[in-house]
Amino acid sequence: MPVDLPRVDPGTGARTDLASGVQVRSETDGPWCTVVWNDPVNLMSYVVFVFRRYFGYSRLVAEQLMMQVHEEGRAIVSRGSRERVETDVQAMHSFGLHATLERAGED
Amino acid sequence: MAHAFRRRADGSLACRLDGEEKAIIAQVAQETADLIRADLGLDTEGEVLRRAAQSEDPLRRLEAEFAGRDAREPSDSAVQRLFPAASEDPGAAAEFRRLGQQDLADGKLSDLRRVMAILDASGGGHSEVVLDDADALVVLRALNDVRIVLADRLGLKRDGDFDTVRMLQQIGERVEEAGPSGDEEHVGSDIVIAVYELLSWLQESLLRALD
Repeated sequence: MPVDLPRVDPGTGARTDLASGVQVRSETDGPWCTVVWNDPVNLMSYVVFVFRRYFGYSRLVAEQLMMQVHEEGRAIVSRGSRERVETDVQAMHSFGLHATLERAGED
Repeated sequence: MAHAFRRRADGSLACRLDGEEKAIIAQVAQETADLIRADLGLDTEGEVLRRAAQSEDPLRRLEAEFAGRDAREPSDSAVQRLFPAASEDPGAAAEFRRLGQQDLADGKLSDLRRVMAILDASGGGHSEVVLDDADALVVLRALNDVRIVLADRLGLKRDGDFDTVRMLQQIGERVEEAGPSGDEEHVGSDIVIAVYELLSWLQESLLRALD
């Protein structure tokens, strides 16, 4: 699996609505989501780098997601089909981020 | 003395490291790769399975096929952090390991090998280490994986734990100044702390240069 390839072209950005907080990229508002968990090792700048690089999120979105992970202990970083989310979780693991998949609405 | 990464005019990224720093980074990268292979049974089991898969005996081949399907659960606490359960549901987590753990391990081992090759290519003494953007990504991932292993050995579990470890170390130094002592274990953890700080600083500097 070419996990080091970004899922979207860098710079394309994600659909965001900053007025209502962070809106993560969603294919079809699919039933699964990728959750990234806080840990004491990953540098904040590295987590932002990974979210921008892999998901193609803008700096603002990536920073908000990173802060959510840091302050709340976890954040949903993507949604989609089970297959899509499995790919995302595997990619997060390849970057050394602690990620799990879960059904949307579990939290 | 290390110098931070910077973007050069030709677009490449360069830092300066002395021979000792390079040797230490290569060593912890090697140890991380060895730990992953040993804990996931990638060396020995892989070889046994390959031979069994080529066996004349169809039962042996079938056995090898099934054995190869079970990705081993990591038992070392650091390897558990590098290969975390992908789901709170144990069945789903096991299935995820079966499908993806080998690829994930191959990627991590390849990153670590590449870091060692880059350091080797830069020579033994104080010198510039030059990366293109593809190598920069590899180095970021590998440094992070090594830091995860070192953090586990230092017992870092929550945000701020490293500051505590660092503070305890400084108190320890002051106590040592007051009276002679020098146990091996203490020296060992001082080295781990120093290497962890060096790798964190290097990773942060590379991220800044990429930004």
